[in-house]
Amino acid sequence: MLATRSATRALPSVGPFLAYLRLEVRRSLRNRRYLVFTIVFPVMLYVLYTAILPATASGPVAGLPWDVYFLVSMAAYGAIGAAMSQAAPIATERRAGWARQLRVTPLPGIAYVAAKAASAMLLTVPALALVGLAGQVVNHVDIGVGTWVAVIVALAIGSLPFAALGLLLGYLLDAESAQGGMVLSFFSLAILGGLFAPLEAFPAGLATIGRVLPSYHFANLGRSVVAGQLPDPTDIAVIAAWAVGLGVAAAWRYAADERSGRS
Amino acid sequence: MTPSTHPSSIARSGPTAVAFDGVSRRFGDTVALDEIDLGIAIGETVALLGPNGAGKTTAIGIMLGLLEPSTGLARTLGLAPHDAVRSGRVGAMLQSAGLPPGARVGELVDLARGLYPAPAGRDALLERAGLADLVERRAETLSGGEAQRVRFAFAIAGDPDLVFLDEPTVAMDVESRRAFWDDMRRFAAEGRTVLFATHYLDEADQVADRIVVLDRGRIVGDGSPAALKATVTERTVRFALPDGGGSDDPVLRSLPGVIGLDRHGQTASLLSRDADETVRGLVAAGIAFRHLEVAGADLDAAFLALTSGPREPVGSSTPAAA
Repeated sequence: MLATRSATRALPSVGPFLAYLRLEVRRSLRNRRYLVFTIVFPVMLYVLYTAILPATASGPVAGLPWDVYFLVSMAAYGAIGAAMSQAAPIATERRAGWARQLRVTPLPGIAYVAAKAASAMLLTVPALALVGLAGQVVNHVDIGVGTWVAVIVALAIGSLPFAALGLLLGYLLDAESAQGGMVLSFFSLAILGGLFAPLEAFPAGLATIGRVLPSYHFANLGRSVVAGQLPDPTDIAVIAAWAVGLGVAAAWRYAADERSGRS
Repeated sequence: MTPSTHPSSIARSGPTAVAFDGVSRRFGDTVALDEIDLGIAIGETVALLGPNGAGKTTAIGIMLGLLEPSTGLARTLGLAPHDAVRSGRVGAMLQSAGLPPGARVGELVDLARGLYPAPAGRDALLERAGLADLVERRAETLSGGEAQRVRFAFAIAGDPDLVFLDEPTVAMDVESRRAFWDDMRRFAAEGRTVLFATHYLDEADQVADRIVVLDRGRIVGDGSPAALKATVTERTVRFALPDGGGSDDPVLRSLPGVIGLDRHGQTASLLSRDADETVRGLVAAGIAFRHLEVAGADLDAAFLALTSGPREPVGSSTPAAA
């Protein structure tokens, strides 16, 4: 029986994981909220602040021209929104009893959570790619395709703490409040992390808060890659710390939710 | 009363489909299952029959590893229930399960197939679950009966040896219900084991080759539909009451031997432990009955006798949660 147990646990989990990941991605790409928050908003804001309102354009920030600096800000903004976009679907699925349906299939709980997180991270890719394209088309920003691909890879991986936060909110909040909770934390992270206005323009106290947030370091990570530099270890360390903390919290809430579904 | 087995299928799946050895389950002070011993052989089609709160859903939850027994041992296909589910040889349709909003039926069927090591063919599965015309529909736009069919597709997607169905036809109309069971019979005839919970007697009678009657967490009857009917000594006394008059229900209930009353307009059906005494009582009470019939019990009566007939006072014990 031990043999059966290990045989049924190890390998076959990959198939169910991929099957579930596929469903999640297809479903999310049809979700209007996802498209608005992660693609329409950042592209619109980018065009507004770099091409339409020249008064807001400033000189180079942190060594990057404004239209490049803000391009990375908006890419980061879209990616964070995409990574957090699982919050509301998880909350509504919990109410619908979907997790209970999955629990009577061979899909292990861990593969279900991993597929949720992975789909959230994968969904950052279209957002990142389209914001980059907007930079090329609107401002003829001169970043090589190779560099932007590197940005996409770095930010897709770096979006893990935001994916974990989306999961956490989905398991913490009910179907009515999950979307509100997601939007509130998403905008707080974006504004305080300096994605709309650079942290350099913040009062000292607010800037200190901003420097603790993963969103600030996430955008910094993207800027290092755009500038052709190696990522700052501080950025990586802060993002990793948030990923671990939020990941543990999400796993804890998931486990609590699963227990309550079992009794 | 002996469960029938299909020897050809035993080799396919091992010794027993389900084994309960002294399984109890409590929720706080409520006893949902009380020391259940139950063995279901490979290839049987078994109905778990009982009123709401009898413990049917709890029993299925334990067989699927969704719930741990408070005491006792449960095995599914010879494995710990959770491992049996993980192996992909078990399919299930639960009452409380739902579908994720935004997903299309075709995508859900693809997912269901992707979760199992040896899935049924896509077209065959769509056909069997009656979903061929619903492939593009989104989960949240489905009617109750249609969503039920998607959940049924999940239950059979893995080409399972053993299928659990908890009140599978609850949201279906009469026609879909008939079609569902026709299909289920063919499915069971392929040598699979089917265990379904229901409170519809006709479903248990027509579909199952064995009925396990649960009441308040205990097995109160176990056998073929015919065997269960034969255990009942009760009779039905049926007659018409005079137009515009007749007796009050309390009078009928108080007649000798009567343990149940079913009244439709002027027609009264009394369930009686002693039909002779009941008829004498009817005459003595001066009731002007017409069209008197005394009939042997049907499964309805058997069920009534097993689950809600007169019983010893149960003290402080409360009805079990479902």
